[in-house]
Amino acid sequence: MKEIVIISGKGGTGKTSVTSSFALLAGKNAIIADCDVDAADMHILMQPDYEIKEDFYSGELAVINPETCTQCGICADICRFDAISIINNKHVVEPLSCEGCGYCARVCPVNAIKNIDLKVGQYFISNIKTGTKMVHAKLGIGADNSGKLVANVKNEAKKLALKLNKEFILIDGSPGVGCPVTSSLSGAHFVVLVTEPTLSALHDLKRVYVLVKKFNIKAACIINKWDINTAVSSEIKDFLKKEGILHIADLNYDEAFTKAMIQGKAIVEIEDSEVGKILKESWETIKKNIS
Amino acid sequence: MKIAFTAKGKDWSSSMDPRFGRTEYFLIYDEEKDKIEFIDNSEANQEAHGAGPKTAQKLFDLGAQVLITGNGPGGNAASVLDKMELKIYIGAGDMTVKAAYEAYKNNQLKKF
Repeated sequence: MKEIVIISGKGGTGKTSVTSSFALLAGKNAIIADCDVDAADMHILMQPDYEIKEDFYSGELAVINPETCTQCGICADICRFDAISIINNKHVVEPLSCEGCGYCARVCPVNAIKNIDLKVGQYFISNIKTGTKMVHAKLGIGADNSGKLVANVKNEAKKLALKLNKEFILIDGSPGVGCPVTSSLSGAHFVVLVTEPTLSALHDLKRVYVLVKKFNIKAACIINKWDINTAVSSEIKDFLKKEGILHIADLNYDEAFTKAMIQGKAIVEIEDSEVGKILKESWETIKKNIS
Repeated sequence: MKIAFTAKGKDWSSSMDPRFGRTEYFLIYDEEKDKIEFIDNSEANQEAHGAGPKTAQKLFDLGAQVLITGNGPGGNAASVLDKMELKIYIGAGDMTVKAAYEAYKNNQLKKF
């Protein structure tokens, strides 16, 4: 069972477009995981049924018991996040501002403040249109991400893949280079870097590759929209060559991606698509190079 | 040498956990005393933030001199582990703890 993670560094380069295509091509052979929990979008193309829903708890929230509270105001004074205000003459914690640090609960002279576990989202295990399962999640508004939910999504996906004896786990990774990305990468066997020929994409590609290299994971790259700036595409190719990253394919800028998306389809589902054809070849290349 | 393994179970036959910060267990093997103990690390995964540094601190408290794991610690954990005199070996993510130890002894693992 091989774990393939698709990341980019800079967001908006086409990770989900590529992951969804590979998901269609892998069909029943793969479990899909959407680890971009901040801005999940695999569900738009995979038609999940949300069969299993689980609440996800992360961090804590301070809650003031209005009956015990003497309105002394010490909590409001010490709160570093200005999360305690007076509403209708009562001290209340503003849930969106509270960081769950617990300082107010400590200093309250009458123990009127409790820290409760905070539900920040949900994760789901769905049946999807390719006849297999997808693990995905949705964070609540203003909810804080970290490696935790990503780790949970990955663990569920791995459990499923082992139980159902699947060959691959395809993971739509998080953008950026922070803890969610580290969490996406941990345990991966192969990384596909999806990039585009802009200076910020190249900059963030290099940053995210530092992580991939440290983790000693084999990597390959797809340059999406390569023809919008052939000079930067060249720079990217030089970087890939220097680092020994397998350069799988260049995809032309193609509005067929958007047209497919509007129909809720991955590009490989569109007949006679040039980009679809290249992605089909790319998937074969990846399978060949994965062990 | 005291060797720490990131593991999914409590004994030699358990699978290695490729993760560091949110690893389920640590198996600590004391080579001199030929003793093995396991440490439950699941509360690190309860943490929203700071799992890496917290787990690194735990490793420090356990007095390990070698860490064998899958891909290695992420950035935040690595900064903490850097301050310890710890040798980290990676590439054991898909092995059992026993196989990982053999691979380490046979110089088949990569240094982080």
